[in-house]
Amino acid sequence: MFNARITMPAEAKAGEIVEIRVLTRHPMDRGGQSDGKGGTVPRKILNRLTATYAGDQIFRFDMHTGVASNPFVSFTTRAVATGDIVFEWREDGGATYTRTSRLTVT
Amino acid sequence: MALLALPAAAQVKSGSEFLSPGMARQQADETRNPGFFWVEQGEGLFSARPPQGQACIVCHAEPRQSLRGAATRYPQVDAASGKLLNLEGRIEQCRVERQTQPAFGHESAELLAMTAYIASLSRGLPMDVATDGAAKPFYEAGKAFFERRQGQLNLSCQQCHDGLVGQKLRGDTISHGAGTGYPAYRLEWNSVGSLHRRLRACSLGVRATQFDFGSPEYLALELYLAGRAKDLPVETPAIRR
Ligand code: HEC
Ligand code: HEC
Repeated sequence: MFNARITMPAEAKAGEIVEIRVLTRHPMDRGGQSDGKGGTVPRKILNRLTATYAGDQIFRFDMHTGVASNPFVSFTTRAVATGDIVFEWREDGGATYTRTSRLTVT
Repeated sequence: MALLALPAAAQVKSGSEFLSPGMARQQADETRNPGFFWVEQGEGLFSARPPQGQACIVCHAEPRQSLRGAATRYPQVDAASGKLLNLEGRIEQCRVERQTQPAFGHESAELLAMTAYIASLSRGLPMDVATDGAAKPFYEAGKAFFERRQGQLNLSCQQCHDGLVGQKLRGDTISHGAGTGYPAYRLEWNSVGSLHRRLRACSLGVRATQFDFGSPEYLALELYLAGRAKDLPVETPAIRR
């Protein structure tokens, strides 16, 4: 089950540094346990989170099995123009999840 | 025994007071406390219309007001059946009898989410369960359980949760076992779990019988703990190690 809570200001002045906090709901299953049928459960974690803003990738977080379930991360960026910040998570197996937050620059 | 002579209920503190400063900050910060995912899921379920029957919100309009404080009064004796119900039990009763849907089931993501949501509506309000009248025999049974030595380690709940409060045990700091933050997000579980799940961990810890989720034994114990915790604020969803 995927979900995310993104916390950041809705507005900022041009040039201002904004803090973005991202809490994600995900089991981050590192796999390897027995599946009860002689095999093992495959790894299923979110392996990457990226954030894109005003056409640029402003953040990238590569995650490994050492990252606990429901990971939290925070980072900062500089407000440049009104627009969407697009968050994209990539999961093992190819699924992706996206969330969008609007930043209005005054 | 010196341990057992210590004063009890008078100074029971929340488990949150025994958290490291970092975890206490994480608990208080909605942007970082994963327990709020379950609260949010519960809020969604509360308004969701089941295949047949009514959404919870149809009968419980304005839950922020109408169900505010409800969690502070659980466990309580159900007037109709005479049974002791905790909040999970009351939710399941509504789910089955009034919403005419199959029970969510103990420890299911849905029941945890719904319980966390409804308990969160009482955040900050003081615990206030009835321990007299119809509740008295349950309360007394819970108290007797709490004080009885059990398991291969032959320890009572009281020896740890009154006698050894503040001491370290495998990296934990022993609290009064108030249970006012449940369902809680436990790092060891990587998830939200119920108070009964925590009680099962304590029973296992002393190598005693683990009772079932929702068993009469744990319900009585839950009532006793809630009575001891009188006036402590509800803190669901708490974070625990
Ligand atoms: C058909 C109407 C109806 C539906 C649907 C319904 N309830 Fe109820 N609920 C009631 C009534 C009536 C009571 C009061 C019962 C009593 O006090 O004995 C109640 C009581 C409760 C209580 C206890 C409140 C308190 O102050 O002690 C909770 C919690 C609750 N319901 C949750 C739910 C949830 C969660 C759902 C959806 C899964 C739900 N209810 C669906 C009618 C309903
Ligand atoms: C060997 C000592 C020991 C015994 C005996 C014991 N516990 Fe615990 N218990 C702990 C530890 C350690 C924790 C985790 C730290 C804490 O919150 O106290 C804990 C946690 C709890 C919590 C969660 C408190 C919170 O705020 O998260 C409750 C409730 C609890 N115990 C109840 C009980 C009950 C009821 C019994 C008797 C069946 C019992 N415990 C027996 C050591 C013990």
